[in-house]
Amino acid sequence: MQAITVEGLERAFGDVLAVQGIDLTVAEGEIYGFLGPNGAGKTTTVRMLTTLLLPTGGRAGVAGHDVVAEARQVRASIGVALQEAALDPLMTGRELIRLQATLQGLPPAAGRERADSLLERVDLTGAADRRVGTYSGGMKRRLDLAAALVHEPSVLFLDEPTTGLDPVSRKTIWEEVRALNEDGTTVFLTTQYLEEADQLADNVGIIDRGRIVAEGTPESLKDEIGDPHVELLLAEGSVAEAERVCAEIGRLLPPKDGKRVLVEVENGAADIPRVVRALDEAGIGVESLELVRPTLDDVFVDKTGHHLEKEESEDGGEEPVPA
Amino acid sequence: MEAAANPPGKALAPPAWRANLATIGALMARAKNELVRVPAAAIPGVLAPTIFFLGLNGVFGALTQLQGFETGSYESFIVPVSMLQGAGFTGAAAGVNLARDYEGGWVDRLLVSPAPRWVLLAGNVLAASARSLIPATFVLAIAFAIGAEWPGLDGLVICYLMVAATAAAAACWGSMLALHFKSQSAAPLMQAGMMALILFTPAYAPLALLQPWLEKVANVNPLTQVLEAARQGFVGGVTWADTWPGLVSIAGLLLLLGSLALREMRRTNV
Amino acid sequence: MVGALGARSIRQTFRRPQLLAPIVVFPTLLLAIQTGGAGASIELPGFPPVHSFLQFMLAGSMMQSMMLAGNSGGIAFAVDIEMGFTDRLFAAPIPRFAIVLGRLAGTAALGLFAALWFLAIGLVFGTPIEGGVPGALLAMALVTASALAVGGIGAAIALRTGSASVVQGLFPLVLVVLFLSSAFFPLELMIEPAKTIAEYNPLSFIVEGVRGPIISGIDATQTLEAVAAIAGVVALGLVLSARALRHRLRVG
Repeated sequence: MQAITVEGLERAFGDVLAVQGIDLTVAEGEIYGFLGPNGAGKTTTVRMLTTLLLPTGGRAGVAGHDVVAEARQVRASIGVALQEAALDPLMTGRELIRLQATLQGLPPAAGRERADSLLERVDLTGAADRRVGTYSGGMKRRLDLAAALVHEPSVLFLDEPTTGLDPVSRKTIWEEVRALNEDGTTVFLTTQYLEEADQLADNVGIIDRGRIVAEGTPESLKDEIGDPHVELLLAEGSVAEAERVCAEIGRLLPPKDGKRVLVEVENGAADIPRVVRALDEAGIGVESLELVRPTLDDVFVDKTGHHLEKEESEDGGEEPVPA
Repeated sequence: MEAAANPPGKALAPPAWRANLATIGALMARAKNELVRVPAAAIPGVLAPTIFFLGLNGVFGALTQLQGFETGSYESFIVPVSMLQGAGFTGAAAGVNLARDYEGGWVDRLLVSPAPRWVLLAGNVLAASARSLIPATFVLAIAFAIGAEWPGLDGLVICYLMVAATAAAAACWGSMLALHFKSQSAAPLMQAGMMALILFTPAYAPLALLQPWLEKVANVNPLTQVLEAARQGFVGGVTWADTWPGLVSIAGLLLLLGSLALREMRRTNV
Repeated sequence: MVGALGARSIRQTFRRPQLLAPIVVFPTLLLAIQTGGAGASIELPGFPPVHSFLQFMLAGSMMQSMMLAGNSGGIAFAVDIEMGFTDRLFAAPIPRFAIVLGRLAGTAALGLFAALWFLAIGLVFGTPIEGGVPGALLAMALVTASALAVGGIGAAIALRTGSASVVQGLFPLVLVVLFLSSAFFPLELMIEPAKTIAEYNPLSFIVEGVRGPIISGIDATQTLEAVAAIAGVVALGLVLSARALRHRLRVG
């Protein structure tokens, strides 16, 4: 059975179409990575799938229930940790999990037991009786994750769970997501981090400006792109000449910045000496050279014409906030 | 982090009514946190009606010399007004808190749970109702200290009932605005609305002594009956004839504002 | 420089209706309620001869607006301090006190607006201004001057605390000072101990100075007493502001 099915899902805010008729399916027990830059439509999609936002077109089903007609059943089956960890700073960690258990309809004794076991699982037992306002960012995310699991949901939605976290905290969250998935929980994870999607997801959907531009396993998506490329960091003023030389060896890729040249090489590492020789003969100084295998960013570039990471730094625009 | 143990089998779900009651109780307990863990937060809600009570009594106390006043004690006459003011303030503050929770994402946590929307609203509203008893009791204690009449046990109970119900109505009003505007900037409207409702009544003087335009407004204002019911013990005896209109009025107001607030709660995903 | 800062202060004040509204809306609402509710009080023995309770109350409502304006000006100043705008001004080659005076210009403008607003309300509801045009002008001048005076105290608190929420928290004090004055009822008919406190409250002298031209015409003694009370508050505001300014410059 499919854990999540989406057909032609749409959401408009006035004249702005934030999500433009997307289709996707997520199998039971899968980790699905929903990858895209800020403002692509990730959070809007998650909010529709978690019944926080009504679609303006299309349909979606989660855990066998329609998100509009059977919203309450959907909510009973899902766990959600949204982009902003919505925690009450005056509550303790334990109180929060117990409240969540009550909201999910668990009897008090079961709620207490789940709180204890989840706090231990996310390594917050020591801080359980401290106020959430005293927690670090990583602790808050772990608590939010624990709260989302209190009723053992079959589908877990994580909206950018590691944004803003340090590398150690990020790794901790990844480990927990893997462990959850091993227990059978389907995970729908939105992220703007390539590595996160690459590392965690069984399948990845790439969204840009409200449309899914690519979908598949990380490996299959990268294989589609084709060949690895050589990335050259050049001395100032020599980029144009280097591009001319490299264009005779392989296909040039869109530049990341004004100091690098990216050229696709059919034969991988075997083509490196050829590139070095050509540049040397042209008298072009190279500061560094790297053979780069296709990444999901390359997939993104191939499908949209711009980088996912460059997109972030150029356009920090937020998704339209639901009114 | 430890590897996950096999999760226990899902606990047997309690009957829906029990789960709903537990959720309301849990939300009320959360609301109590602000009072217990940030006691200073309670001060404005207690200070404002107290200042108004003492101020109005000091300023307008001589009004009891006019023909038509049922009592010579202005503090007895006006203390129910201040208690209702405190209720209005507390209820409106519940709306402001809900708006703040919405802005901070907390309301999403509630909305994404399977708890019925009316249960989520009831938690907020009943918490305000319970909390309104604090400023009411404070103002009443001050009133007794400066000579207000004892309203009798029946008068006291009815007064507190009106206070708690008015706070609930104010919380419905505040919640409706909070969920509609989704912003704390609606706070002045929450407070001003309740203030107007409570004061466009025979707050300062009996109905017959009001200026004609205010008498007309007060006659159609449901809070007039609520105030008269709350006041009756302080200015005379308690009768069923003076009580049932207040009960009907506040029930009607609760029904109206509660329905509007619930409608907004159900439309948060539109 | 005072003019430029004053113009900024005035623009800031009138460009934000959500700040302007409480200063005007709340006192207007209270005016409606009090005239409607306590209007029969003009029949009490000892009540000054007036056309209506509204005529009596106009001065009190102007005072209320004026006090709220002073509080609001203090909040705006504290926000400037919190955001670092005043630091930029302190670093500029301008007289330090000009910064405070510039801020007060906004408060004074609010006071003038309040006076005009309530005079207009009175006229719309058929209330005569017994002092005529000179009386109305005198009332406006006294309200504007007292807004400056109270604004000075608000500015002093802002400079001392540097916190908008602290200044905002003083709002209940505004109500207390108003109730303990003759803003809303004749002094002679107030109840003890409010009556005795009101007798010595400088605000009572200012209120009577503003009220006189409205209900009975210009009275030199009343006017002088009001001016003296305003001067007293101005002096207090100046002293407190100067001290607070020195403190802020010292500690940053």
